[in-house]
Amino acid sequence: MSSTGWKKVLWERQPFPDNYIHPHSFLSSLRRNPNFKPYTYWPLVLLSCPITQHLATIFTFLAVFVRLKERWLDARVLLWVSIASFFGGYALCEILSYSNTVNGVPSRSKTIKSSLLVFLALMGLSPVLRTLTAATSSDSIWALSACLFLLNALLADYSTLKPAPHSQERLTSVLSMNAAISSSVVLASRLPDDLAVFSLVLFAVQLFALFPIMRHRLQVAPQVVQILFTLTLCVVSFVLTVPLSISVASIYAGILIAVTFVAPGVLVWAQKYKNEIRGPWDVAVPRLN
Amino acid sequence: MKDELPAIAMISDFFHPNVGGVENHIFMLSANLIRRGHKVIVITHSHSPDRVGVRWLLPGLKVYYIPFPTIASSATLPNYFTFLPYFRVIIAREHIHLIHAHASLSSLGQEAILHAHHLGVRTVFTDHSLFGFEDAASILTNKLLAAALKNVDAVICVSHTGRENTVLRGQLFEKSEDSSALVVRPNVYVIPNALVAEQFTPSTEPVSSETIYIVVLSRLAYRKGIDLLVATAPRICAAFPNVKFIVGGDGPKLNDLLQVRERHLLQDRMELLGPVRHRDVRDVLVRGSIFLNTSLTESFGIAILEAACAGLYVVSTRVGGVPEILPQDMISFARPEEDDLFRALSEAVAIVSKGQHDPVEAHQRVKNFYNWADVAERTEVVYDAVIKSEQKDLWTRMQRTMELGPFAGPIYTIILVVDCLFFLFLEWLMPRHDLDFVQMHWEHHNFVQLTKDAKIKDR
Repeated sequence: MSSTGWKKVLWERQPFPDNYIHPHSFLSSLRRNPNFKPYTYWPLVLLSCPITQHLATIFTFLAVFVRLKERWLDARVLLWVSIASFFGGYALCEILSYSNTVNGVPSRSKTIKSSLLVFLALMGLSPVLRTLTAATSSDSIWALSACLFLLNALLADYSTLKPAPHSQERLTSVLSMNAAISSSVVLASRLPDDLAVFSLVLFAVQLFALFPIMRHRLQVAPQVVQILFTLTLCVVSFVLTVPLSISVASIYAGILIAVTFVAPGVLVWAQKYKNEIRGPWDVAVPRLN
Repeated sequence: MKDELPAIAMISDFFHPNVGGVENHIFMLSANLIRRGHKVIVITHSHSPDRVGVRWLLPGLKVYYIPFPTIASSATLPNYFTFLPYFRVIIAREHIHLIHAHASLSSLGQEAILHAHHLGVRTVFTDHSLFGFEDAASILTNKLLAAALKNVDAVICVSHTGRENTVLRGQLFEKSEDSSALVVRPNVYVIPNALVAEQFTPSTEPVSSETIYIVVLSRLAYRKGIDLLVATAPRICAAFPNVKFIVGGDGPKLNDLLQVRERHLLQDRMELLGPVRHRDVRDVLVRGSIFLNTSLTESFGIAILEAACAGLYVVSTRVGGVPEILPQDMISFARPEEDDLFRALSEAVAIVSKGQHDPVEAHQRVKNFYNWADVAERTEVVYDAVIKSEQKDLWTRMQRTMELGPFAGPIYTIILVVDCLFFLFLEWLMPRHDLDFVQMHWEHHNFVQLTKDAKIKDR
């Protein structure tokens, strides 16, 4: 039986059995990995920097918390550091927005007003926050805050794309920020005095609410700046943790290195298993003018 | 000779009183197999409030409605074991030789394929739809399908594109004898759907050539490409003042159509009929002279065939199995793009207004292309091949199931083994000699002979 006469039609009875498979036309329109762009290692490492930065900020926060709790760090010092970093970060944002003409920066008076509001509200609330979970046992607090930080790290917005001006924040990144703030609030309730609570929560707002915004702005900065920034954060978190516990510090270092260098390598390696199947059975995407 | 015809059980979640392509296919195939002398029963799930127990449908088709709750779109929950007690009793009572499961999302069908080998019953599976490979739902259902089809005796698909899709989804490959290369299993068939041409006769009075009606009959959903219709209809109306639209169907995109009609002031040129019953489809179709199908995915496109049979010229998007069902001169294809659809529709309007398309001739041609008797005959060939092939023993089944993968393989093998134990338990609990076997007093060949004699007498 020659295979030349076969046609891929149903309306005509053909002199072939129904289970005949034409050797050339069968699966001829199958396409594998049609839009496949292989990742390369170093750009992926650069893209993993935001994740590393975020993890480093969490580690830094935990180190600062332990110092406050054990009274190795004066709350006033932390307060001044927070205020200084706020102004420093604000200035940096201003410079970046000047150089890149990023739209959607709120006016200065508005920024100052809202930051003062947050500052005063936190100050007023700190006695309440200190006793908020006093009745809960510390073990529950550690577990709860660990879960919340995990949630924060999982849901945080690491995307490099510049969000469109005035675009709404994604729900996950809002959830992520809320998880981190809640976590710091429950941790703050373990602290001995109101000032410490106030300074820790203020610090948390800096790190988990304002810093991600700056991180987004930084992503348009040159690569050298980003790398230096990531490195600085990692070193800070490591140096702050080493005096507390060598083993924890080494775990941190391991996590940071794994996220930055090992995970991109695994992704590059795993690409050889990519098998995307496309064919005429796919739901077509209508193109409208 | 007649005694050798296998008794068949059609098993699917989708059957009358629901309506749809699969439901109609099962009914028409069963009716035509009965006509050819087979014994056919249907097993499906019950429909509240009162579609329960055993019912008979008109050409002598016995339907078992199993009391299973449905989860969504009339599909039952896949749970692998609960069907076995019913299945065993029904198949044993009715002396079934072969089960024919339909639709890949029907868990009753997949379960039946798993249970059938206990009773020495052979299995055939018909896949009616196309699925992608990307989203989580597809990945999950494709794995379930691959597991079910690992030990099935034959697979039937409704179009060549559908077969390519099913072969990939169900992993219907086998190692060839001489080399290690993978080849498609030889038991995968293509047998198209058919239609009852007498139900779709063209209008006897000639359609007026002054106004050209474009008919759209479809569920108004994204997958049916209603966005394309919404974008193209106003442009066509603006370009051809003598063209009007008739849109039948209901769905989430109805609002979009209403809005576009309002915005472009097309109230007198676009008629929205709402849901159309299947028995009224022909009457709607013959009002027009062009049928427009904008589906984004379609495995066979029975609606296109019905329209072509009713004498309409067809314009369709080139998706799935649609290019296979009609010859080039009865259908115009467009890419799923607004501009291309506009081009194809304009050409169709030109063809129809010049009178180059003859509805009666189109009806005659489609009548010759597809009929159910032919489908039943081809399906019979599949049944015959299945009955003659050797049944796989349990050890082979387990080995084949283990090939599914490092995770799915052991899971499905455990299901297979537990199913065997459950079957043995049922054999002990309800011994087979206690069952109430069905006695068929109906002798079909006598009936056929009698009707033939009666016909001869009438003459």
